[in-house]
Amino acid sequence: MTCADYCAVLFAALLLPYLYISQWTGDEAGISATIMNGNAITEVSLAHDHTLEVDGARGTSIINIEDGKIRFAASPCLGKQCIHSGWLEHAGEFAACLPNRISVAVLGDEPRFDSINF
Amino acid sequence: MKPRWLSLLLIATLSFTACSEAPPQVHKAKLFTLGTLVDISVFHQEKAAALQAVTIVETELETINRQWHAWRDSPLTQINQQLAQGKTVTIDSTSHHFLQQAQTLAANSDQLFNPTIGSLIEQWGFHSDDRPDGAPPSKDRIDTALKQVPSMANITLTTTTLASNNPAVQFDFGAFGKGYAIDRAVETLKLAGIKNAIVNAGGDLRTIGSKGDRPWRIGIRHPTAAGVIASIETDGDESVFTSGNYERFFDFDGSRYHHIIDPRSGYPANDALSVTVIHHNAATADAAATALFIAGTTQWPQIAKQMGIDKVMLIGNDLTIYMTQKMAQRIHLEIDNTQIKIIGDET
Repeated sequence: MTCADYCAVLFAALLLPYLYISQWTGDEAGISATIMNGNAITEVSLAHDHTLEVDGARGTSIINIEDGKIRFAASPCLGKQCIHSGWLEHAGEFAACLPNRISVAVLGDEPRFDSINF
Repeated sequence: MKPRWLSLLLIATLSFTACSEAPPQVHKAKLFTLGTLVDISVFHQEKAAALQAVTIVETELETINRQWHAWRDSPLTQINQQLAQGKTVTIDSTSHHFLQQAQTLAANSDQLFNPTIGSLIEQWGFHSDDRPDGAPPSKDRIDTALKQVPSMANITLTTTTLASNNPAVQFDFGAFGKGYAIDRAVETLKLAGIKNAIVNAGGDLRTIGSKGDRPWRIGIRHPTAAGVIASIETDGDESVFTSGNYERFFDFDGSRYHHIIDPRSGYPANDALSVTVIHHNAATADAAATALFIAGTTQWPQIAKQMGIDKVMLIGNDLTIYMTQKMAQRIHLEIDNTQIKIIGDET
């Protein structure tokens, strides 16, 4: 083998782990949540406490993120079932304000369940 | 030298070709339709093909929603108006199939699944996307509605016509339409070449295939606490439906009133917290979950048998879990210290 051959083998050896990581593993790190507003989906980290104001079909929903949990704190619907859902912290949990067309779903690296029945 | 370089180039090219074909993965889409949030997971190699199939499904679901909406102006509300006037309604083959399926399920459930009590459901305020807390209907109004006793037995159905001998019949397919829509969605996905998917509409779902080399894993929500009470791995094409008293409700004077109305009493059924049903057909599972919730802790085994449902889990008001033998063989409980009653007599 010549020097060029060794370089080619080395290049291939270095390329292999990169391809493995980029093609075969997810890019999601830590716990996060998606906020769906109409058909638009935004992903937010649950690592930092903050309050979000999201304008929906009927008005503004206020969403709290605190200690790795997320909840609807206020919403312009009448039934307030989104608020009754309380804090969400486990992957797969979700709450929705259907009148305001806003939903929140918690994501995890490897959620135990592919879907939740209720 | 040149052949060796050519070999390396060939190997590298083949490697890149192999890597560029992405492995199958779950592609997710969420849709606001059917008055709820529909979550579709497709396990497929090509994202574009998965999303294209989802777009077709969305159109299908919107069509069903418009056709069978119980309180917005729709073909169904027009049918209700005509039936109230004693008229015979002309229907197409799709509507005939839909109504025939509902009529059979209603008969098999001893009319506990009763999609003709739309007036009663409206009086309870559930003909609204967003019912405010407020007083329930008066006893007089409920008694009046009950005297008319509408049911699917009042319906005469031919392949092209629909008639009723009871002017009180007002259709509301809230306990059937979602299942029917999920069945249609799954058939649409299959036609688009999708073999592995979950269609979850507001918590009720049907799966097909698997997630690669393992089954789809479903968590079943605890009816009174956060998290799941049980889980199940679906066996290919299966529907998992739950009716619970926590789904749609309002509070008044310290009492909670939910949306599953017992057609016998006119009030929300109160002998269970939730009922979970597994069946291959989503429309059947939908109607059965409602009927068995209304049937309650003593009557549900008989109604399940009549409806051909062999996998049932009913959670009583004291959190006792009642299950059929076949459900017990499939389900994995996620909680401890619970009283479980397994009912042996099944279909």
